Parts: sequence; C-alpha cells; structure tokens
Amino acid sequence: MIRFEGFSKTFGAQHAVSDLTLAVEPGEIVALLGPNGSGKTTSLKAAAGLIHPTGGGVFVGERGRPATEPDARRSLSFLPQKVTFPDSLTGREVLDFYRALRGVPRERVDAVLKMSSLNGASARAVGTYSGGMTQRLGLAVAALPDSPVLLLDEPTAALDPDGLRAFYALAEQRRREGKTVLFTTHQLGDVERLADRVAILVGGRLVALLTRRALEDWLLAHGVPLVRAETSPLEDLYRELVGGDT
Amino acid sequence: MRGSPGPFLLCARQELLLAVRSRWTQIFAVVFAVLALAVASSGYVLSGGHGVQDFARTAASLVELVLLLVPLTALLIGVLSLAPERGAAELLFSQPVSRRAILFGKVTGLFGALAAAQAVGFGAAGLVIFSRAGGSGLGGFTLLILGSFILTAVFLVLAALVSSGTVGRRTRALAIALVVWFGAVVLFDVAALGVASLLPSGPASRVLIVSVLVNPADAVRTGALLGIEGSGAFGAASLALLRFTHGAAGTGILLALSLLVWMVAPALLAARRLDKADL
Repeated sequence: MIRFEGFSKTFGAQHAVSDLTLAVEPGEIVALLGPNGSGKTTSLKAAAGLIHPTGGGVFVGERGRPATEPDARRSLSFLPQKVTFPDSLTGREVLDFYRALRGVPRERVDAVLKMSSLNGASARAVGTYSGGMTQRLGLAVAALPDSPVLLLDEPTAALDPDGLRAFYALAEQRRREGKTVLFTTHQLGDVERLADRVAILVGGRLVALLTRRALEDWLLAHGVPLVRAETSPLEDLYRELVGGDT
Repeated sequence: MRGSPGPFLLCARQELLLAVRSRWTQIFAVVFAVLALAVASSGYVLSGGHGVQDFARTAASLVELVLLLVPLTALLIGVLSLAPERGAAELLFSQPVSRRAILFGKVTGLFGALAAAQAVGFGAAGLVIFSRAGGSGLGGFTLLILGSFILTAVFLVLAALVSSGTVGRRTRALAIALVVWFGAVVLFDVAALGVASLLPSGPASRVLIVSVLVNPADAVRTGALLGIEGSGAFGAASLALLRFTHGAAGTGILLALSLLVWMVAPALLAARRLDKADL
C-alpha cells in the first residue's frame, strides 16, 4: 500500500504539494487527476522515493517504510512521465539491466516483451524507437518485478491502442492480484476504465477524493453515463485495419 | 538472486558498455591514438632531426597533450553520462538501490572505458617506439600512463560532483564542466604565477608550492616530469615544491596525497549531494 501522511513539498518559495493525506490500499487502483502544476507528478515521485518531503511523509509497502529508503523501494515499480533510455542499447539490453538490478528471473524479460508488444523490436537499438515504443518499453521495465505497488506517471500519454491495451491489462492484472496501483493522467478515459477511486489535486491540495460509485453518481446527475468498456467500436476497427501488427 | 553481481557492478558494467558504444569515447580513442602516434613518430623534427623518439622523450612530449585532453574528455564525457536525461534518471534512481552505488558504479564504468581508450593511444605509440627505438625510458612512459589514469579518475569524480548538483540540467552541467577545465588546466597556472610575481620571494615560493598541490593537473604534471626527466623540465612552481620537500621522494609523497584527496573528497561530496537531491 501507499500512505501519504500530511505530505508537503516546496521548491524554493513554491508550494508544490500541501498537506496531502491519502492511502491507496492493496487491490485498488487510484487515479490522481488535476490540471498542470497541481502536484500530481511531485506526489508520485515522492512515492517513488525520488523527492524528499518538506513536511509529513510518504510510506510504501506492507511495513510502511519511507519511500526514500532503498530497501523500501523493493516493493514498488515506477514509470516516469517522459521515460528515456540510452539510444545505443537494444530493448532487450535495457530489460536485462533492470531485470538484473531487481533480481528478477530471466524468463520475465520475454514475458514483459510480449505483454508490451515489443517482441519484434527487442533486438533494435532504443534510439530507433518511436515515442510510443519507448513508452511501452518503460511500461515493460515497470512490469518486470512483481511489485506490490505500481506507480505510473501519465502512462498513456504516448501510447497507441495496443500500448493502451497492454497498460490496461497490466493495471487490471495487478488489481486482481491484490496489488496497489497509483497513476496520474489527463485522459479521463483512463479514469473511467480503471480507477476505483479518483483523487483530485488543485494547486497542490487534495480537493476531492471520490469513489468510483460517487463519480458515477455525479456524472449521472449531470447526464453523463460512466461505462467501463473493454473495447470501443473505434478500437475494434483500428485493430482490424492494422491487423494486430505493431 | 544468488551469484548475480551487485548493483555497483551492474551499473559499472552498464556504463562501460554505454561508454564503449559512445561516439564521443570512440572519437577520443582515435584522436588520442593519432596524436600520440604523431608525437612519437615526429621524432626530432622540431629540433631539426628525424626518426622516432625514445620512450622518455615521447613521454615528455606527451605530458602537455595528456594534461589538456584527458581532463577535458573526462569532464565532458563524465557529465554527459552522469547527468542523464530526467526520465532516464528517474527510472534508474527509483530502483531499490542506493544512489551511491549507482553513482560510483557509473564512475567506475566510465573510468574503465576512458582508461581503455587511452591505453589504445599509448599502446599504439609504445609499439612504434619499441620497434624503432627500443625500450629505453619505458619507466617514465609507464609513469605518464599512470598519471593519465589518475587524471581521468580525478576529473571523472569532479564531473560527478558537477552532475550531482545539476540533476536534469545537462546543459548547465556541461557549462560548469568547461569552466572547471579552463580554470584547472589553463587559468590556474597563470593566476598562481601572476600572484607569485607580485610577492616577495618567501611568500611567492609558498604560493607556488600550494598551487602545485591544490591543482590536480599541476600535481600530475610535476609527478610525471619528475619521473621522466627528473627536475630538468620543472617550472618555477615544481622547483619550489622540490626544494620544500628536500628531494624527489618527499615531492612524490605529497603529490600522491594531494591526488588521493582529489579523488576521494569530490566523490564523497558528490554522493552526499546526490543523496539529498530531489530528482
């Protein structure tokens, strides 16, 4: 699980996040929503141990240890917003490096390559990848360890429909396995599709924490039905046209 | 996993692989080899002669090339590698590994790649010299190679120090690295001599002694020249240090201590800064 306990972060005179208290439980997917500069990425990076809190704390895993401790990070995987890799490495070399760093069995590399539809490109240098392929490789790295906590910063920003499906499948699988998923997004479709709860940040403050049911009720009250669809007709047509070739 | 290398070694191996594949390292290896071969093969052209110089004379001729090129390369390649793009750094530093293990692993890998690149240059020159002029003066040449490796290590940890304070701001880190190189290799000597020339003999001598010990480039220059030619090619600062220490042994010990401090202190500072940095 992830616990933000009065988490605050300031950069100079700027208050990025103020007094955030939020717990994301096992088996739950929570979306962090908010306009640009609302503190979503700062909060997620604090949960990944990349940012030191100015006040309060962020704790991860069953034992609730501060995310800034290297050992605590064994329980989490993080996908940054604009993930990049060294151009000269192949996709498989990238995955092999992170696999070894996390002590993950070798077989996982093939599994995550398949999951992210990068099988055919794993021997190519990352420098030849498109933005979407790089993002899928980042997703594959995040999926390598079977971490109890998955943190994803705008994971769908550059993904094509196949990448989107891979992301949805990963998040849903982790939920079924009782893992914790926290992600930021600007895509409301991701929220509709995945989130059990939605935390809305504005100006670094948590202004609303809605369950999916509350969100559905609110949307219905405003005349918008919330549908958790597995596929859309447009996506079906797209897949037919590209023939599943990525 | 049992038997698998630890994070330090994994990061070192990864950085070595990246550095070996890097265009910049390859260019450095080629340029260094060409220049070293040119120096060895040019023989006595400047003094009107011809033929290949022996090891000692080639080493003496290579000292200034090493002092100019090695710190610059170590700083630039170091900063390019140690100040990665934000997305790459965030992914790497979110792993369950201490930031120090990543930093020192990367520095070690880079050192391996740059030392190998220099070994290619020195080796090529060494082969030419040995085949044409024999093995005379090989000790001084070897000492220069050692000095070159030490300079690489010192300026790589300085690159780590620069990078650790400029996370995600690579252009700024590169600019600072260039300033450090210019200050250490070009400006420092001129400034020390300028200050010394304004002072009476005693204080001037002390300024010059300190100037050799506090600048790693000067320390390597003094140590290399001392090993290759004795005090024959010394400048004012090196001579002042030699007089102060009453001989080559004392000078060597002080220079070694100075270079050790230059390797350890910036490395510790860089690790401390990185530990506290928000990435």
